[in-house]
Amino acid sequence: MAGNSGSNGEMYYHDSVVRFLVMCSLVWIVLGMSAGAYVAAELIWPGIDFGQPWLSFGRLRPLHTNSVIFGFGVSALMATAFYSVQRTCHIPLATPRLAWATAILWQVGILTGGLSLLAGINAGKEYAELEWPFDIVITIVWICFGVVFFATIAHRRIKQIYVSNWFYGGLIIVVAMVHVVNSLAMPATLFKSYSIYAGAQDAIVQWWYGHNAVGFLLTGGFLGMLYYFLPKQADRPIWSYKLSVVAFWAFTYSYIWAGPHHLHYNAIPDWVQNLGMVMSLILLAPSWATMINGIMTVSGAWKKLRTDPALKFIVLSLAFYGLATFEGPMMAIKSVNVVSHFTDWTIGHVHSGALGWNAMIVFGTYYFLAPRLVGAELYSVRLANVHFWLALAGTMLYILAMWGAGVSQGLLWLSLDHLGEPSFSFKDIMASMPPYYLLRLIGGLTFLTGAVLMIFNLYMTMRGRETLRVRPPEVGSVREST
Amino acid sequence: MIDNNNRPRRGRSELLLKVLFRPRVVFEDLAKSEPSPYRVFFKYLIWFALLPPLFAYVGGSRYGWDLGAEHPLMLSEAELRVVSVFYYFVLLGGFVLTAFASQWMSATYGARDSLGVHMAMVAILAAPIAFGSVIHLYPHVFTNLLVLIPVLCWAMYLLYVGLPISLGISPERGMLMASSLVGWLLVGFVTLLGVTVALWVNGFGPSIGI
Repeated sequence: MAGNSGSNGEMYYHDSVVRFLVMCSLVWIVLGMSAGAYVAAELIWPGIDFGQPWLSFGRLRPLHTNSVIFGFGVSALMATAFYSVQRTCHIPLATPRLAWATAILWQVGILTGGLSLLAGINAGKEYAELEWPFDIVITIVWICFGVVFFATIAHRRIKQIYVSNWFYGGLIIVVAMVHVVNSLAMPATLFKSYSIYAGAQDAIVQWWYGHNAVGFLLTGGFLGMLYYFLPKQADRPIWSYKLSVVAFWAFTYSYIWAGPHHLHYNAIPDWVQNLGMVMSLILLAPSWATMINGIMTVSGAWKKLRTDPALKFIVLSLAFYGLATFEGPMMAIKSVNVVSHFTDWTIGHVHSGALGWNAMIVFGTYYFLAPRLVGAELYSVRLANVHFWLALAGTMLYILAMWGAGVSQGLLWLSLDHLGEPSFSFKDIMASMPPYYLLRLIGGLTFLTGAVLMIFNLYMTMRGRETLRVRPPEVGSVREST
Repeated sequence: MIDNNNRPRRGRSELLLKVLFRPRVVFEDLAKSEPSPYRVFFKYLIWFALLPPLFAYVGGSRYGWDLGAEHPLMLSEAELRVVSVFYYFVLLGGFVLTAFASQWMSATYGARDSLGVHMAMVAILAAPIAFGSVIHLYPHVFTNLLVLIPVLCWAMYLLYVGLPISLGISPERGMLMASSLVGWLLVGFVTLLGVTVALWVNGFGPSIGI
């Protein structure tokens, strides 16, 4: 085991790599959300691509999703996984150089991948748009991530593997599996390949990947973050540790089946669609078990709210987690999906999870983490409170606009006239949407403004300060707990 | 304010004015009183729940719902009546269930647990929504959204400010409980959306080609 040794041979946690990843994720959130705001504006004013292909919706939209999910989301997950696995195992990272290589290569991969998307190089699979050379780089970096993480766990100094590590471990294993299987392709040129699957099979594999990327990355990975940072912030143990472990296994078992609900009423077997629907409904139980565990943990820590703005974000993220994990199974019911599918309701649903759950929990975590990384107080609690209200307002505006737009679209393009023909053309329906899209843009910009305030706040907190050198507890100084 | 047997009776419109201009006073009054759940239900909730469906019925029958497309969506009188009655009972049920949910949560947050107080709190939050629904008289979906968003924001502000005052808990615990209730309300709203859509698909409401 390689340690971060001081001059007297003492071991320290490797937190510089955590700090690097935190800062990278902050860059990605601005880039990714700005791209999102720009494509939202393009849906209102299509001419603002100025005839430039790289500014077109088709190129900027995947840049937005890749930046926020893989740039911001995964960097935040790597940062928090590296931070928490050391503290829950009571040792520094087992392979610190590999951890640095993972962190840097990931940024290079996503940056060059993002540029390739702007250049129009696109594999044509949603959330898996990067072409085969990038897929290989992602696989290699992901394996490195796994080696760092699991090697640290293998060298742990306490017997128990804390539940956050189960979720981070699930993230690493399942995302590797779905990424590799879905990306199998026959390269034609350096930047063009063809999937080895065809037709309906390709669609099934794609959404098996797509849904489990949502499941194990945006849900499971972030639950790992929740299970470590919530008890830390609340300064009390998880309300029910047993429930958290049961929820992990139930979650892992049921999520993997739910992908076909993305393909309702498509050319895949009916029983596959029904299975996807039923498993999506079952998924509600483990999802809400975690939410209840979180709410009950935080409910006893109300005094901390007086001094800790971070906890507010976590509380709110749990409310939106509850909403998104309820809305998802509901939209997987076929008789709801027939109206909601291919409408902006889906976009609203995704963002209630992405803004309300993923981004909020990262904000809460960073307000906790950044001051501790440098051993300082947060620069401005007041700014963090302003950020909280901007984030809440932005998310609500976004969701409400998309609910209004989505339900109207669903109803309008299923409406038939007395001859049984569609009452409204697609063009007419879309022409009525700009007011909703403007409201969505305002919501998104409000949210982005809050994020920029946070970046300024964290920058001022960490500016000119060295990363604190923290030693693991002495052997025998703690019992088998985290 | 919400009725208290020891206090003079005041009207529903006075409650709205106070909720609009002196919300803290409304909650401080509630903190000192012990209203009967039946009285709150019959004096406030059944009437507040009546306004939105009534406005929606009048607006829908005169102009039809304008979803932004060429023609508004016209429903037959009979269908509109059924939809409005359904809307009424869903709203009323939502108010009552929210009061019960709030009462259930009170044990976790150490708040007052008499049902009347929780019902009264729900009635105070419902007041701006009920009166704001006057926009249903102009049944244009986006305009309704534009008007109802600030109304909902006001109701949410009332919840966060008023809950700790009226239930006698610290602002921090109030914040946690209010957020839990926001979660409950969001889930309730999205359930309503899902049930409505499922009803359309199963042949009830606007005719769609499924």
